[in-house]
Amino acid sequence: MTNKETIIELKDVWKTYKMGAVEVHALRGISLKVKRGEFLAIMGPSGSGKSTAMNMVGCLDVPSKGNIYLLDKDIAKMSESELAKVRGKKIGFIFQTFNLINTLTARENITLPMVFQDYPKEERRKRAEDLLKMVELDNRMGHKPSELSGGQQQRIAIARALANEPEVILADEPTGNLDSSTGERVMDFLTKLHKEKGTTIVMVTHDLKTARHADRIEFLKDGQIVPEKEAFT
Amino acid sequence: MKLDYLKYAINNVTHRKMRSWLTVISILIGIMSIFALISFGQGLSNYVTTIAAETGVDKLIVQTKSAGIPGADESFVITKDEVDFLRKINGIKEVVGMYMKVVEVEHDDELKYVFMISLNTGKERALIEEMLTVELDKGRALKTGDRSKVVLGYNYQLENNLFERPITLRDKILIDGNKVEVIGFYEKIGNPQDDSNIYMTEEGVEYFYPEKMNKYGYVIARTELGSDPAEVAEKAEEKLRKFKDQKKGEEDFYIMTFEQAIEMFGSILSVINGVLVLIALVSLLVAGVNITNTMYTAVLERTKEIGIMKAIGAKNSDIVMIFLFESAVVGLVGGILGVLLGYLIAKGGGIIAANAGYSFLQPAFAPSLIIGCLLFSTLMGIIAGVMPARQASKMNPTDALHYE
Ligand SMILES: Nc1ncnc2c1ncn2[C@@H]1O[C@H](COP(=O)(O)OP(=O)(O)OP(=O)(O)O)[C@@H](O)[C@H]1O
Ligand SMILES: [Mg+2]
Repeated sequence: MTNKETIIELKDVWKTYKMGAVEVHALRGISLKVKRGEFLAIMGPSGSGKSTAMNMVGCLDVPSKGNIYLLDKDIAKMSESELAKVRGKKIGFIFQTFNLINTLTARENITLPMVFQDYPKEERRKRAEDLLKMVELDNRMGHKPSELSGGQQQRIAIARALANEPEVILADEPTGNLDSSTGERVMDFLTKLHKEKGTTIVMVTHDLKTARHADRIEFLKDGQIVPEKEAFT
Repeated sequence: MKLDYLKYAINNVTHRKMRSWLTVISILIGIMSIFALISFGQGLSNYVTTIAAETGVDKLIVQTKSAGIPGADESFVITKDEVDFLRKINGIKEVVGMYMKVVEVEHDDELKYVFMISLNTGKERALIEEMLTVELDKGRALKTGDRSKVVLGYNYQLENNLFERPITLRDKILIDGNKVEVIGFYEKIGNPQDDSNIYMTEEGVEYFYPEKMNKYGYVIARTELGSDPAEVAEKAEEKLRKFKDQKKGEEDFYIMTFEQAIEMFGSILSVINGVLVLIALVSLLVAGVNITNTMYTAVLERTKEIGIMKAIGAKNSDIVMIFLFESAVVGLVGGILGVLLGYLIAKGGGIIAANAGYSFLQPAFAPSLIIGCLLFSTLMGIIAGVMPARQASKMNPTDALHYE
């Protein structure tokens, strides 16, 4: 395994939102590289553009200017269905608000990404069970999200993110809605994933203690990458 | 085609129970009406076909042009001379005229006004019998020399139908004050008018109603084997018009084959049926708009869910499929329930019609009708879902994810 291979690269990325006559620059020329197997944390004050950057790396949005390369492919040049495929197979998203589908059971939520990628039924069932075991929730597979605690929901969300064995896990404040001990539990799973499976992880967090699980921390302020000491002043 | 989407669709449809039911009901009503109406329409056209086949294709009828029940227009007459004239026309083999008269019948001090028809007892009598399509139920047929004797339609044998007390064989009844003996009953024809007819010999009618003499109200003819009945009808109409000295287009009668007459009757019914089906289709259109509306609401409500699905790899086409499956399920369920209820209504309607004496008014349930209704309602669900589904698929994933 070549540990030095660049898996994500942002080159002078700008994102501008037009709110009527006002232009909001959420990102102002960000350049950043993420290597395979790396665990990167992104920190910064609220409104600094962390989520915006994550969404673009996750192919949920496209930059206004600049380029984003995912495995050397420019996402701006991809078609809608190619982007969908990348989101489904190469990326696993974990959100602050879990974002499970409320009408589906835990197991069905985990299975859904595999349905979109046309996995055979038998394989899906097997993998969903393995993932449920991994996040230690195999006894809750028939439960709906509303019947699970926040921490349990986030663990289901982690299992879902891993369903299609993605190259990168993108986690936007995965512990943001959890108390510190439940948050620790979720972080344990992510750290274990990174250490044991070598999964590449990019994680946004407010919390320095959470960020310390990462190999490297980048700081964002007003849509730009800044040195640590400037970030929170 | 992913069956997982179907399961997911059913899951979502059942999740918003109340709204789904209301939408399903709106389709159900349309499909139910269409199913019931068409099944009756088909039943009727089956009936018309059997009647035409039973009566035979070689018959022509001569009757008044004015609207109404054939023979009821007493001002319209065909004379014996005219009947003889028709008999001589090339292609016509037999002709027989019938007197038609509304008479007053008295039985056990009860009075009823019914239709009396004269039956020819000569060598051409078979023509009328074939036309009646039914056989004697009880007693014997009229024969030459029967003057004060009558044969009655089926319903006279029933209690509380025409008369409180049923009439039985050899009973004496009064017809316009003249005492006659009942010597027979016909089998059930299947509609209250025909089943309450009274039949008397031609000589009987001429005896009791001398003013009717030589004034037939209805004439039946049989064409020669091998001739084209429609052609003969046209030719005979032309010739009789000249014989009666009436101007073209102003004749007071028409001659058509029995098939044409029954087809005309059938086509009037199918036009009425068609109009009703059209109204039901309009109600289905409204139901379609209802589905579209429900689906737009569903899309809006599930905006965040659409964002999530896109984030975990759903293509636009997957989202389209998911929502189309939902509207198709709503359409199909409405269709299934509509067909079931339509079946019950048509069955019930048939029973009511039969009890009212219209036993020919029976629905027919063709498999193609059932399949057609189900396909139609499903297709309608899909079409109604196209615009909402497209809107769902076009959503930007980040915007959708942030929708609360
Ligand atoms: N869809 C949008 N339309 C307009 N402005 C937006 C939109 N999304 C983000 N912004 C703006 O872009 C900037 C960066 O937002 P972003 O959500 O990336 O911040 P963040 O660093 O994730 O903050 P937080 O820590 O609060 O989540 C903010 O000023 C925000 O108001
Ligand atoms: Mg954020």
